[in-house]
Amino acid sequence: MDLFNNLIFGFSEALSLQNLLYCFIGVLVGTLIGVLPGIGPLGTIAILLPITYGVPPVAAMIMLAGIYYGAQYGGSTTAILVNLPGETSAVVTCIDGHQMAQQGRAGPALAIAAIGSFFAGTVGTLLIALFGPPLADVALKFGAPEYFSLMLMGLVAAAVLAQGDMVKSIAMVVMGLLLGIIGTDVNSGVQRFSFGFFELTDGIGFIVVAVGVFAIGEIVSNLGEAQERRVLANKVSHLFPTLQDLKKSWGPILRGTGIGCFFGVLPGTGPSIASFSSYMLEKKVAKNPDEFGRGAIQGVAGPEAANNADAQCKFIPMLTLGLPASGVMALMLGALTIQGIQPGPQVMTQKPELFWGLIASMWIGNLLLVVLNLPLIGLWVKLLQVPYRLLFPAIMAFSAIGVFSVNNSAFEIHLTALFGVLGFIWMRLGFPLAPMLLGFVLGPMMEEYLRRAMLMSGGDPSVFITRPISLAFIIATILILVVMVAPSVRKQREAFTD
Amino acid sequence: MRVTHSLLLKAAGALLALTTAAAAQDYPAKPVRIIVPFPPGAINDFVGRTVATHLSNRLGKQVVVENRAGAGGVVGTELVVNAPNDGHTLLVVSLAATVNPWLYKLPYDQSKAFAPIAVVATAPNVIAVHPDVPAKTAKDLIALAKKQPGKLQYASSGIGTFLHLGPELFKTMAGVDILHIPYKGAAPAMVDVIGGRAQMVAASIPSTLAHLRSGKLRAIGIGATKRNGLLPDVPTISESGLPGYEAANWIGIVAPAGTPAPIVAKLHKEISLMQETPEVQKQFTNQGADIMRMSSAEFAKFIASETAKWGRVVKEAGIKAQ
Repeated sequence: MDLFNNLIFGFSEALSLQNLLYCFIGVLVGTLIGVLPGIGPLGTIAILLPITYGVPPVAAMIMLAGIYYGAQYGGSTTAILVNLPGETSAVVTCIDGHQMAQQGRAGPALAIAAIGSFFAGTVGTLLIALFGPPLADVALKFGAPEYFSLMLMGLVAAAVLAQGDMVKSIAMVVMGLLLGIIGTDVNSGVQRFSFGFFELTDGIGFIVVAVGVFAIGEIVSNLGEAQERRVLANKVSHLFPTLQDLKKSWGPILRGTGIGCFFGVLPGTGPSIASFSSYMLEKKVAKNPDEFGRGAIQGVAGPEAANNADAQCKFIPMLTLGLPASGVMALMLGALTIQGIQPGPQVMTQKPELFWGLIASMWIGNLLLVVLNLPLIGLWVKLLQVPYRLLFPAIMAFSAIGVFSVNNSAFEIHLTALFGVLGFIWMRLGFPLAPMLLGFVLGPMMEEYLRRAMLMSGGDPSVFITRPISLAFIIATILILVVMVAPSVRKQREAFTD
Repeated sequence: MRVTHSLLLKAAGALLALTTAAAAQDYPAKPVRIIVPFPPGAINDFVGRTVATHLSNRLGKQVVVENRAGAGGVVGTELVVNAPNDGHTLLVVSLAATVNPWLYKLPYDQSKAFAPIAVVATAPNVIAVHPDVPAKTAKDLIALAKKQPGKLQYASSGIGTFLHLGPELFKTMAGVDILHIPYKGAAPAMVDVIGGRAQMVAASIPSTLAHLRSGKLRAIGIGATKRNGLLPDVPTISESGLPGYEAANWIGIVAPAGTPAPIVAKLHKEISLMQETPEVQKQFTNQGADIMRMSSAEFAKFIASETAKWGRVVKEAGIKAQ
């Protein structure tokens, strides 16, 4: 059994003292920022990217991944106790979770959220271990044309499936593409949009854009909104769900996991789509749909499992194909590149300790989260009382130090500030930021692959449709576009927007 | 009268000698910065750190390395060129610096910008091919390329990089046509040559070594006048069929132009001492590099001749300055 050998190898890697420590730090930080509304995993990972320079690649990825799924846990705590989603994915959890808290059943709500998430996380981990290697085998046959077609599909899907206004999503993808072509053209050495700044000849740093838009922009934007924080912490008494609660929950958890895994591998869909879909499904299949909105435990169990499964499965395309399916995965890809690892299928064969170690650490991290979350809920709630006037300046300073430390460049701090302003404006105007980041990451890669494919084929564009794998991606891209134009899908999309 | 005149002259001369000697004696008055215009990890960084460690021990002041990467080294170089020329800001230069004047409109005149101190080491490239390529020697490779012009492809780490210019020199000297496929960085270029999507690469020895040993790449030859300690069985390109081919990166230390001669001399002497220690020599061998020694004046001439040599290659390769 290769799978078990690999997993055992992964666990031996993930259980080393150093990796375990980084895993713990990751989920701790993740829970922390998940609990706090106003700063999400994207911003946090962006801020912490420069630190990962000095850390070995496996430990760095383990920590960043821990932040990501830790935030999914933390987000639900705030949603249940404060009726304020710590993360967007926990919006749905607010509905029934907070009702339960008001009825004095905050404990079971928190517990079932943690149990559901843990189950979903376990399934997600197994799925990656199962589907990763065969996918990577296929991907090893990829040349420039295949990569181009794959990324085209990824980018189109990201623009189409993203929530909110489609025109705005596409505009942001294009914005990302434009930012991505700044710098020296790979094939001719020509300078593009560098305006005589030698600092721009290598393009805009990934960290600069990520920190500027996601950390600074988001914080500034949050300052504009007064938030009411009424904490129902005193009502957390008994923690364990009753037998009846568990009976009601196992179905939703299973279904939520399935939904989360499905949406997880699709590019562009955030965890909120998964949790929302799960909630709708549970409401449909429930015996008493009237319970929903009044503290139905199914309304917590399903969506919580869904958003965690989604978070976990987002790693599949990133690790096997080097294709980021979300903003966070784009950041993870950036982290790999910073470590000098070329993302793609060869990661699994050249760096098996990274791949399997990361997978095993996710399961360990999920376990740590259950242990961490349930007894420490009181502590997390206290954190909500830390005033933002202390928190935000600290984050800002930390971001600036992080950006500077990458290249010792003051120019990049100025650039980060500029992106902070841009990020604020975009957010205020309702332009989604994740598509921009995907365009920024994928655009230059796509261009490179396109031009290399053309160079190698001697200028013959038919390589994209004569090579079978590439053709399959092109057909899929066209299908996605057709589906998008279909009126029924458009209506649903608009429904999601509200 | 005549006596006093000559006395005066002598006194003035002595005074001058005293002040310049004093400049060298007081140096360094504060911590010295060595700017490496590339990211940490590669050979330039290694040379910078080795020199910094040695100078820290010998000069009694901290010598720190600062990485200022960007634009093929122009960002860091510009910083040093504009720094005070008192010997407290030094620069690690390499082959890339002799290429930049042909690639960019530089914000400084490179022929006048430096006070060369010492060249430290030289690191040749190794031309390697995917094992499916039938050529075993440079002679075979040239014959193969002549038989099918433009069919063979080599991967590089980008326009104007060492991985690009080495093969271009090979092409002009041998009179063959091999297609250039640029990548962003050496790692992805290497991946595609190993995967057989491009056939040839001419990279540094440390970055190629593991693939040569595992048989994923086959060495054709080394771009130096003598064989390399890390690959003693691999012939030079000259031996292998293209006489006179030499494509070696070199790394040295310069100060901004106008740095007092005694300071330059003092630093040169210290770097020479460092080059004599067996420990340092061994470290360089492990990096696929050899110690390279010449006087400061010779180093200045060497930079000029290298600039001319690679300028010709850049022109032959049809790269235009931006």
